[in-house]
Amino acid sequence: MRKARSKQQFDALTRPWRDRLFGVALRQTQSREVAEDWTQEALLRGWRDFAQLTDQVAVYAWLLKILNRVVADDVRRNARRDQLAPMLTTGDAFLQEQACTSAGPFEQTVQTQSNEQFMKAVQALPDNFRQVVLLRDVEGLNYQEVGEVLDIAQGTVMSRLSRGRRLLASLLIRTESADGLAATSIHGGKPT
Amino acid sequence: MNDVEKSEAGRFSELHLELQDWLAGYADGELDDHHTALVEAHLAGCEACRADVARQQVMSRRFQEVPTTRMPFDLQKRLDKALADAPEYSDPAPRTTSRFNLRQWLTGLYRPAVVGTGGWVVALVLAGVLLLPDVGLRSHDHIRMVSDALADYQKVAVTDLPALANTADISAPAKLAGGRLLATWHTTVGGEPAQAFAMRRGNSLVIQYRISEHVLFRNPDVRQAMATMGGYRTHEKQLEVLAVPMKEAGLLIVGPANAMPATSDLDLEPT
Ligand SMILES: [Zn+2]
Repeated sequence: MRKARSKQQFDALTRPWRDRLFGVALRQTQSREVAEDWTQEALLRGWRDFAQLTDQVAVYAWLLKILNRVVADDVRRNARRDQLAPMLTTGDAFLQEQACTSAGPFEQTVQTQSNEQFMKAVQALPDNFRQVVLLRDVEGLNYQEVGEVLDIAQGTVMSRLSRGRRLLASLLIRTESADGLAATSIHGGKPT
Repeated sequence: MNDVEKSEAGRFSELHLELQDWLAGYADGELDDHHTALVEAHLAGCEACRADVARQQVMSRRFQEVPTTRMPFDLQKRLDKALADAPEYSDPAPRTTSRFNLRQWLTGLYRPAVVGTGGWVVALVLAGVLLLPDVGLRSHDHIRMVSDALADYQKVAVTDLPALANTADISAPAKLAGGRLLATWHTTVGGEPAQAFAMRRGNSLVIQYRISEHVLFRNPDVRQAMATMGGYRTHEKQLEVLAVPMKEAGLLIVGPANAMPATSDLDLEPT
């Protein structure tokens, strides 16, 4: 008899990614509860669509794509996106200005910041940029996979990544140069 | 600055701006050789872009130091439960399944049958059948020949078509317009020997069963239908079963409703 792929199979394939999936969800909302719901919904949708998973697709990228849809559906429903309005725009003039900051001091800047500070700056990125940066730099996906997860072209992945990281760098530099009050101003949650 | 220098400076800044969106690709080693060389040539003369690439790499490394989130234990348990409670999609949604790996599993499934029987034709014919929702047999338990024929049909559809030795010498009991004989085998219907004839009709698999007269007339409902309409027709979801009398024998035809002949159109074998 034709045997459907079993729950055990699904579980074996997806369990190793649960933590990461939850981590990704958590980075897209302030609410732990919402992140938990998204994770569960993504997993259940994954189970429902398990038959569509082919050998050619990496399990994690596939799960991330599903999670991305879950989040998008939910965000659309709740217009949560409004809360994530960009704080900064990628202006060429600004980039030129920042381009002169050499890597040495920048590395120091980044290293002296705590994980919380660093990730807080990441949270401040506009949605489109943050997603790409996180999928690439935290989740370790290649450009093709990032493109598949977000349904965008690889060229778009590259440009968003270029701009997103540049924006992040500028946020980190700004934080640093805020009169030595970098840590407090970031913790104070007044990102101006 | 003379004109030549001016235009060169213009080209440089143009390229500089253009490459802004490529620097991540370079930092991540995602560019092809051609573009890598292009970016490197620019980097050699552009400190700003060199610094940008360096910063990107610094940040990528920094991300690696951020510990990954661990899921709280009760969320793990909650997910386990949600998954355990989730419905079994044991018969995966046909349309989506077929789009993804139909070809792959058909090739695996039908390798023996494919040899010498028209290869993909057989596989595709059967695909039409397999995409039907699971056919339950409960409602036909009381007419054993019907449930037997349906069971045999499904068994064939999910396993193999028995090889057809020599098509030329064999013909099915009923000639179906546009139908082509694929295979024949012996089976049991209603507890008595029967011969099955698998045919391709359009994109569907239709199987005829030559059964004994005794089995055909065993059920009173069927007898009644024979007497009044010349045949007994029933269906189980998309699969239809037609029973008609032949000379000293009976005929059951099983197939998707749209591939089934009308009772009046049947061209039965001369006896
Ligand atoms: Zn440049």
